[in-house]
Amino acid sequence: MRIRAAVSAALASAGILLVGWQSGVHGADTRSAIAAAATGNQASGTGTTGSSGAASSESAASSATTGGSGTTGNSGATGASGAAGAAAKAGGTYDGDVVQTRFGTVQVQITVKAGQVTDVTALKLTDAEGRSVQISNYAAPVLRDEVLQAQSADVQTVGGATVTSDAYLTSLQAALDAANL
Amino acid sequence: MQQTSETPHRLRARTFTCMGTVISLTVPTDAHKAPQAAADELEAATAVVERLFTDLDSIFSLYRPDSEASRLVRDELALPEASAEMRARYEEAAEWRLLTEGAFTAERPDGALDLSGIVKGHAIREAGMSLLALGMANWCLNAGGDVLVSGSPNPGTDVPWRAGIVDPADRRTLLAGFPLGGAALGSPPQSLSPSGPAPLGEMTADGGTRAALATSGSAERGDHIWSVTAGAAEFRQVSVAAADVVMADVLATAIVAGGVPMLNRATAMWDIEALAVRANGELLATGGFRR
Repeated sequence: MRIRAAVSAALASAGILLVGWQSGVHGADTRSAIAAAATGNQASGTGTTGSSGAASSESAASSATTGGSGTTGNSGATGASGAAGAAAKAGGTYDGDVVQTRFGTVQVQITVKAGQVTDVTALKLTDAEGRSVQISNYAAPVLRDEVLQAQSADVQTVGGATVTSDAYLTSLQAALDAANL
Repeated sequence: MQQTSETPHRLRARTFTCMGTVISLTVPTDAHKAPQAAADELEAATAVVERLFTDLDSIFSLYRPDSEASRLVRDELALPEASAEMRARYEEAAEWRLLTEGAFTAERPDGALDLSGIVKGHAIREAGMSLLALGMANWCLNAGGDVLVSGSPNPGTDVPWRAGIVDPADRRTLLAGFPLGGAALGSPPQSLSPSGPAPLGEMTADGGTRAALATSGSAERGDHIWSVTAGAAEFRQVSVAAADVVMADVLATAIVAGGVPMLNRATAMWDIEALAVRANGELLATGGFRR
């Protein structure tokens, strides 16, 4: 009974961590915790755990408490190993529920082989307006009218590659400074 | 855009020349102070900042034959015997060299030590701390196109300072804007070490998290940028906004030298926003620079 509780806690923890990690969200909301638990149940049909699995579940159980309360720590490795242990016999792919986060809709799929999570795929990852979102802050190609616009009359300072003092005299910054002298 | 009900504060600026460029200190006029007192305060603050820049320049300038840096280059002085200031900047530059995998380096191709890539940012950072120590909460410090701000141009509000970034193809026009502001200097400076991806919520241009904006280019004064990859630089100009001005300056320089791989590494490892202009004029931007 205790082991079973620990295992489901570990699975929930792993689910939360996966969802949290995949969406880059620190602080998954309550709904993602529920959804993650559902993901866990799908895998828990196998039901067998070795003593090593239980051992790692012990530590995972404590992190599951943290996860449930809405913060995901860096204990992802611990949680994931607990989940892998329980799902060892199952293999295959498991879809998480569709979860609404404050950043948009998230659904992930994990692939399990021989007790290891071998792949995590984002099935759905969109923002509130339905556009797909970037997980990292990757610098992407943009058009000129897609960047924040500024008119020289509307700025208080001007940034640019280091200008020599001669070049400064003809620069926009010089004009601004002159206006504020 | 934020609505400002009160009348905009008139800004006052003072400038001086140092490190081969022009430094501008801009402050909003304080309505509660007598005009002469406010002017005196700005004069005094500018004098403090100028002294700080001049002192650092006298140590680090390679244009001054009598500077400590010049003596190091001529092998008249060894690094272990150098001043604490010199060794501290060398250590900082060496750390950044490791973190950027060599894209930022304080060593010229001929092997000579050149810390000018980090000294200006350091001077801006120190000047910012001095201004805060003087009790000044709202100011904008621009040293040759690298910017550090505190507070707001409208004291008492959270209206950000609005910075423009020059178009490298036409220096009379602006390529983009970026809101700068926040209490970044009030909190302890960020660790140099990569902190991992920041939460998505902080990646919006809310004007509250980035106090510093630095821009490096391959076209002008490329004296501290040596391309890691052979051939022409991939980027003509790179701007980086961050909480810390040295971080912004170093990473902008590193990205110009290291190209797209360094750009991707920088945006993944540090909590920054970046806007890069390719040699053909195309732009690459992180979310904070997009509308």
